[in-house]
Amino acid sequence: MLELQNLSKYFGGVRAVDSLSLKIEPGQIFGLIGPNGSGKSTTVNLITGLLGVTNGSIRLSGEEITRLPTHVRLSSGIARTFQNIRLFGQLTVWQNLWVAENSRAQRERTSFLARWLGGESGARARITKALEFSGLSHKANELAANLAFGEQRRLELARAMAAEPKLLLLDEPAAGMNAEEIGALDERIRQIRDSGITVLLIEHHMELIMAIADRIAVLNFGQKIAEGTPAEVQANPAVREAYLGTAETSTRGTA
Amino acid sequence: MDGYLITVLSNIGMISFVALSAYILLLSGQISFGQQAYFGIGAYTAGIATVMWQWPLAGALVLGALVASAAAGLVGLATLRLSGIYFAMATLAFAEIMRIAAELLVYRREIGGIETGPDGIDGFRDIRYFFANDVSPLQTCLIVYVLLGMVVAALFMAERTRAGRMLRQVGEDPLLAEVHGIDVMRVRMAAALVAGAVAGLGGGLYAHLMTYVEPKSFDIMLGVHALAYGLIGGLGTALGPLLGVLIDIGLLESTRIFRGYRMIVFGGLVAVLLIVRPRGLLDENAVGRIRHYLRRRGHAGD
Repeated sequence: MLELQNLSKYFGGVRAVDSLSLKIEPGQIFGLIGPNGSGKSTTVNLITGLLGVTNGSIRLSGEEITRLPTHVRLSSGIARTFQNIRLFGQLTVWQNLWVAENSRAQRERTSFLARWLGGESGARARITKALEFSGLSHKANELAANLAFGEQRRLELARAMAAEPKLLLLDEPAAGMNAEEIGALDERIRQIRDSGITVLLIEHHMELIMAIADRIAVLNFGQKIAEGTPAEVQANPAVREAYLGTAETSTRGTA
Repeated sequence: MDGYLITVLSNIGMISFVALSAYILLLSGQISFGQQAYFGIGAYTAGIATVMWQWPLAGALVLGALVASAAAGLVGLATLRLSGIYFAMATLAFAEIMRIAAELLVYRREIGGIETGPDGIDGFRDIRYFFANDVSPLQTCLIVYVLLGMVVAALFMAERTRAGRMLRQVGEDPLLAEVHGIDVMRVRMAAALVAGAVAGLGGGLYAHLMTYVEPKSFDIMLGVHALAYGLIGGLGTALGPLLGVLIDIGLLESTRIFRGYRMIVFGGLVAVLLIVRPRGLLDENAVGRIRHYLRRRGHAGD
């Protein structure tokens, strides 16, 4: 599905991402973890094209996308959410979901003009579905800025889903959530995977990621220090050291 | 209707075109201090077309709008990658270049025994199309409002299309728009072209209503006001900037109470609104509530 080869991003002398190679199989929930500043969000920004790559390549379903502009890349089947929620605050919930239709439209038709003048058949049904999925049907006409925090997170996820991506990048979706909300999120992410979408999950919340990830890679200082199943990663001494400083004092990986 | 009222109404109508032009760019998230340049380009072009080439008014207005739009496109190529203050500076610089160019523009020809045409700093006088064709001030006022109505109606319809929504999305968060597959540069370019055409159309009307146009008529103050109209009236609907014009020209300039203090009151109003309602009186929240209210009344009436 997604293949990173020797991907690097330098900011001056800082190697934010350093020769990172990953291979994410279709239908997986792939977890990407690491201490603060280890390059996780930079990796997501490289995949989505918001940052330019210094070195290396990115392939989506075998196709080289390293140099494609963001809007083309994102409409070719990648969707993402943001670490700090990003919504169109002055647009309604419904309109926020409508944005996702752009990605679809771009995939299905080629002409810009045709898209501008294009019809909206099917869009209504898809948006209604996305509203139901996120439990926001009753708030469809509210401005997104007026929603509660948890609702905004749900809306962001619903919007990413409405684009019907092949690959979904979730950048710390559990940030700021309570235990109950995390339980619901856990369920939702599984549903997403079961509907055939590959998920790249960046998360600090270890319980969540250990419970649902099929495979996990650990970053530290921009480099991959471990990769494997949750159990393998938890047992890895290099991981414990990165998170806790020394190998001896580690209990369970709750950073 | 008395002559004064008609003049005020015509003025409100003409300035509304520049206000709408600035509004379109504001929606795309760009603050332009240069929309007056397209107003000026439209004015000169349309004036030259009717006076010197003896075109009919409709053709001249269309030509003015097209030339202004083309100019906006060229400027857009150079400036649309800038954002915020840098874009504002670049557009202002361009507008000043155009104004100075107009001061240097001399294109005189003899038409019907009288020499006429743009004459540098003295401007372009005797654009007498309305006199020559016996169009009364009331009729010209109607022409202004019919055209303004068409532009506003077009903007209203555009708001409901995917294009209109994309414009607001780009304006609010270009990065997020890009992440949703929107080609931000293309949307901004389209907005700049339309905004240029709208300002150019207003300029063409201005030249013919005033019977003259000079470089001074599109100086920086026109651009600043055009921006302020949207910020006062509101960015939630195309009626917002019109409300802004109405408040400024209709209330502040044309009534006795505020005469002389217009700029003070106007400046204060902008400052207060930017703090209290940064997106103007008719902002998205207000428009949403009004729409909701109208819908409910509509249902109650069934």
